Amino acid sequence: MFASISSAVLIGAVGQPITVEVHVGKGLPAFNIVGLPDESIREARDRVRAAVLSSGQDWPRQRVTISLAPSQERKTGSGFDLAIAVGVLVATEVLTRESVEGLAFIGELGLDGSVRPVRGVAPMVGTLGESDVVVPVESAPEARVVALGKVRLVRKLSELVDVLGLQMPWPDHEPSARPILVAPVADMSEVHGQPLARLALEIAAAGGHHTLFVGPPGSGKTMLASRLPGLLPPLERDRALEVTMVHSAAGIQLPATGLVDRSPFRAPHHTSSMVSVIGGGSNVVRPGEVSLAHCGVLFLDEIAEFPASVLDALRQPLEEGVVRVGRAKVNVDLPADFLLVAAMNPCPCGGGGGGPGDCVCADSALQRYSRRISGPIVDRFDLRVPVMRPAIDELLATEPNESTVVVAARVAAARLAAELRQGSLNRSIRVRDLDVVAPLDSDARAVLRRELESDRLSGRGYHRVRRVARTIADLRDPGASSVAERDVALALEMRTGLRRTFRVGRAA
Amino acid sequence: MEPMTEGGAELPQGAYLASLAGFSRMTTKRLSSVLAHLEPRDAFAAAVGDVRPPPDIAALLAKDPELAAAWRADKSARDPARCWSQCLETGVSVLSRLDERYPAQLLDDPAAPPVLFACGDLGALDARRVGIVGTRNATQRGRETAAQFGYELASHGIVVVSGLAKGIDGAAHRGALAAESSRPVAIVGNGPDQPYPKQHAALWAAVCERGVVLSEWPPGTPPDAFRFPLRNRILAALVEVLVVVESRERGGSLITAREAADRGVDIFAVPGPVDSRASAGTNQLLCDGAAPAPNVDELLMALGLDNRRAGRSRVDLRPLPHGGAADIVRLCREQARTIEQLSLLAGLDLGEAAMGLARLEHQGWLRETGGWFETIDVWGDLG
Repeated sequence: MFASISSAVLIGAVGQPITVEVHVGKGLPAFNIVGLPDESIREARDRVRAAVLSSGQDWPRQRVTISLAPSQERKTGSGFDLAIAVGVLVATEVLTRESVEGLAFIGELGLDGSVRPVRGVAPMVGTLGESDVVVPVESAPEARVVALGKVRLVRKLSELVDVLGLQMPWPDHEPSARPILVAPVADMSEVHGQPLARLALEIAAAGGHHTLFVGPPGSGKTMLASRLPGLLPPLERDRALEVTMVHSAAGIQLPATGLVDRSPFRAPHHTSSMVSVIGGGSNVVRPGEVSLAHCGVLFLDEIAEFPASVLDALRQPLEEGVVRVGRAKVNVDLPADFLLVAAMNPCPCGGGGGGPGDCVCADSALQRYSRRISGPIVDRFDLRVPVMRPAIDELLATEPNESTVVVAARVAAARLAAELRQGSLNRSIRVRDLDVVAPLDSDARAVLRRELESDRLSGRGYHRVRRVARTIADLRDPGASSVAERDVALALEMRTGLRRTFRVGRAA
Repeated sequence: MEPMTEGGAELPQGAYLASLAGFSRMTTKRLSSVLAHLEPRDAFAAAVGDVRPPPDIAALLAKDPELAAAWRADKSARDPARCWSQCLETGVSVLSRLDERYPAQLLDDPAAPPVLFACGDLGALDARRVGIVGTRNATQRGRETAAQFGYELASHGIVVVSGLAKGIDGAAHRGALAAESSRPVAIVGNGPDQPYPKQHAALWAAVCERGVVLSEWPPGTPPDAFRFPLRNRILAALVEVLVVVESRERGGSLITAREAADRGVDIFAVPGPVDSRASAGTNQLLCDGAAPAPNVDELLMALGLDNRRAGRSRVDLRPLPHGGAADIVRLCREQARTIEQLSLLAGLDLGEAAMGLARLEHQGWLRETGGWFETIDVWGDLG
């Protein structure tokens, strides 16, 4: 009259194994679930009972108690339905105890006994290790990507009862091929003109440098940013798995293979709430946009329109690559190692035609606008690039620009050079390593000294410029041992060029 | 009862003028009618309702009961003794139309301010006077032109009159101050004791010291937007020749030009590129019949002075650019350029262009604003 079934729960973006214990014994007919379930699990009672009855089985007229162990962890979600149903059937001796040995069950039940997908199957299966897993058919791709044991697919509870009762072999379901929703990655060759912004994208992709595009409306800031994921190399398997886990936990659609092996591109709207960008929630912690952009690009269009609180909350993930979301009942770390790309207008009026003297904004309006983005956030952007409206000749030019393939090859070579040299992206070169991995030649040193002396560059900016210059040198020649004057000049141009736009002190 | 100062001495009439000029919702017209038939002291008493007002003040207050209430409250809010000590502390003199120092040019003006507040020496207004005005959001070239005009006019002993605003106004005054023994005049839209914009504090102080800062508002008046168009008429009335250096299709400097035209003042405009928004207004002025002012000589001729250049032109100490750098300077001198345009036009890659620009910027040849590079000429440090 007792059964113990393996299942798993999703906490944040990681799975945790859970043992579903079922006891069916004497007493008034009742059905209770213990072990800190939330409302969605308590509702499982009605779903499971209906599903079992719909599958042609009897519901015990006895006292049914379910315990979700370990019981001190708060649990949520409808993914226990299948495990509970199987547990009840084992406890009432419809199924044998041996038949469920070495199997774990994840899935939600419909009242008609159908098995439905839940979010977070990938991290949950991942946490179950070697055991075979039974999952809904629709979750097959993500489960197969992470599973170490066999992945069994079921469509209905009755089918599962037949298989476990040795009436039939495991069915051979294949999830119907879904239309691929992933839009083809936009190509760099479609960008006309904009040599500086193109170069900035290349540098950002190669060194992982956060980038801010500033330009009048219609200058192509969004179009540029959307080309960035194509320049990033495909994700290595470890990183791809991390991303897949987060995307699965958030319940967003995965590619047909189940594995997210391209860098994600997330572009939340500026009205998005703190929770949707950073992650969180009151009981259930869901990954936010920063985590969905893990190993990819987080694009904030019109960054000045985002609430200051949301922008300031980005500082910690930008620094640590992880978001720590704390709630009264749960503390969760979510991965959030992303490349930040943002776009904004130079001023509220959009800068007129973009030339000097074209802006019609009042001083006070300009000040308010530039204050919307705090100094610490502006400081995070290694590359601050003015984007001008392309000339008509450039728009009409028929000669295509360099394509993504060509640029991505240079990016890959530069990333490899960085990886071999210091084992990390150039963005994360430690200050004490700069002289070793990014030595300056004498001309380059003179340029930086001049900028520091004329107070146009701050001490912090100095280190950031050196990292960007290292990336520029890597792109120019992956074998370059030292950083030349032209590399530093270009890095400076991209760091200090817009210092008058952001009145954040004198030095950049 | 007469208000008394601490020492017991009676307050001068200027104290009441300073108080009245700062009353709530005070306008030139209201102030004129309040002061029309009464001494300032009696006008003050009438305005705050201490004595029965004469018919024209009574009519004014009857029309607007809220105004009457506000002015009654101003009796203590604008206590004449305190207003007077504020004037004394800030070194601001109060001039009524009866004062002999009141600028003679304004006496016949239909919209003359009944009271003027001055910080500095009004003797500056006795010389020949040219107004230089323009947009606050000027280009580098516009500011340089203003500075050059200011310097060269001041070198001829001509008083440069401007508004001490950002952009063209400030550059004109900086240029004028660079000439020895020049006496610039500024007409401002807030209290003459309060530098605005803040970054012009030093410039403001220099104008006060060498020339004079004039305002129709008493010390402590904040820089409200509505006051600035009003000061333009005073500026227009005070100058013999007005030159607009840069202006948008609409702007305060065009208001000044219109006011000046109404008063028969010669108007000059500096021609600018047809596609530059900062020159749209000045080019329109030229179409409408203003005289072009490509250099100061035209202005001097309009004043009836000969065009012999009394001031030496400034010496350029910057190392001359050569090679690719000279190309970059030449291109930027034609018009403002972006680094992308420069790399394309000069045939340099972006790295070389950035290198050249960084050097030129350091040597003081170029200046960057929002991604646009403009050349700095020999007047650049004043612009």
